[in-house]
Amino acid sequence: MLATFRATLEYLGGERDDVPQFLAGRFGQLARCAVWALAILLIYAFCGQSSKFIYIDF
Amino acid sequence: MIFNTLSYYLFFLIPSAALYRLAPGRLRPWIIVIFGSGFFLYFAYGMAGFWGAACLLIFLWESLVSRLYRPSSRWCLLGILQSVLLLGIFKYWNFLTGLLFAHDANPMRWQGEFLPLGISFFTFEFYHYAWDRRAGKTEAGTLGEYLAFILFFPTMVAGPIKRFEDFLPKLRARPIGWSQDWERGITRILVGLVKKMSVADLLTAWTNHLNSHDILLADRRILPLWGLAYGIKIYADFSGYSDIAIGSARLFGIRVPENFNWPYGRRNIQRFWQCWHISLTRWLIDYVYIPLGGSRVSSPRIYANIITVMLISGLWHGAGINFIVWGVWHGLLLAGHRFWRQLRGDPSIHPVPVFLSRVLTFVLVNAAWPFFCMDLHSAILFYRRLLIG
Repeated sequence: MLATFRATLEYLGGERDDVPQFLAGRFGQLARCAVWALAILLIYAFCGQSSKFIYIDF
Repeated sequence: MIFNTLSYYLFFLIPSAALYRLAPGRLRPWIIVIFGSGFFLYFAYGMAGFWGAACLLIFLWESLVSRLYRPSSRWCLLGILQSVLLLGIFKYWNFLTGLLFAHDANPMRWQGEFLPLGISFFTFEFYHYAWDRRAGKTEAGTLGEYLAFILFFPTMVAGPIKRFEDFLPKLRARPIGWSQDWERGITRILVGLVKKMSVADLLTAWTNHLNSHDILLADRRILPLWGLAYGIKIYADFSGYSDIAIGSARLFGIRVPENFNWPYGRRNIQRFWQCWHISLTRWLIDYVYIPLGGSRVSSPRIYANIITVMLISGLWHGAGINFIVWGVWHGLLLAGHRFWRQLRGDPSIHPVPVFLSRVLTFVLVNAAWPFFCMDLHSAILFYRRLLIG
């Protein structure tokens, strides 16, 4: 169950290409749209305070 | 800033990735070279002015010298030496000369010190190419292909650290699956930006307190929370950065190595390092640990090798005694873990010890972050206040 949860998170986060079975079809497309919408909303909400990435100075 | 600026996406990533996919094969490396050079000039000038931008010459010089590399050739050694020397001058000059003289009375101090954009990362790619060419492990590629490798801007500044033999076939292959690559790549970029902006940057309000002044004034019970906040922040910041780099590369149809694989929550320090900054760990294993003898030498030498590798890792992260302490801390943890494994054999699979070892690893990794994010004096003060009061 934990493995499925992790695979789902990684798929929705763009890290893996193979679709978890329960996300195949229309439901998966909706989930991907929801991830984009949520991400854009969060970026918009927090973009005013952004700072330099830590590793750029290395 | 770079990956969290609009100019990165509008002027560099989207036009170059689209052009790259539309261009014929022989032109594709040169599209990366042109946009990579523009990227370096634009952002290096913004960060370090004219001389920062002039460091583009380092890439051009290195690419010319690289044409002389042959298996078993001394030119490869020269290439390795010049890349290490450049890093040494730009990154460690003031630190090393500062060890010889008192900080304020250092007559050799470089007043206008600056760090070329991405030098710690591109040095490792130069080094890898020269080393592997000498060993005959990788083909030379054309000048354009090598320039595309070192000027591939999604990974130029802070990795993931690529390998030429992995990159070359992807560069030569015709990119297919435009829609899937862009959907996956943009998703990855968005997730990276969310990690950076809504987690890492949000925690700055706490991590900004990690300085001598605030540590002295703070209630000591808050100190572990500040340390923990930094542990979460650096993970969100750097894994977010890597997500954007990997997602950006995906828009070109090029897959670059992963850098993180759920490192927090791993059950021992060795597993942690196999999952944290993976491309750096692999580089250190291949180009430092194995040449030192790796695990094929006597037991005391193995422990010395482990600590040496982590000391170099610490020093690579920054020119300061605090980074050396951070590296040695991890070296001792890895050596201690190896000793424990030899003593006790295979790890238990019982849920309680597994859980406890995950917690212990998490605590020990996070306990080292104060040495990473503060100078030695402040980090010691942090621990003195935390433990003594």
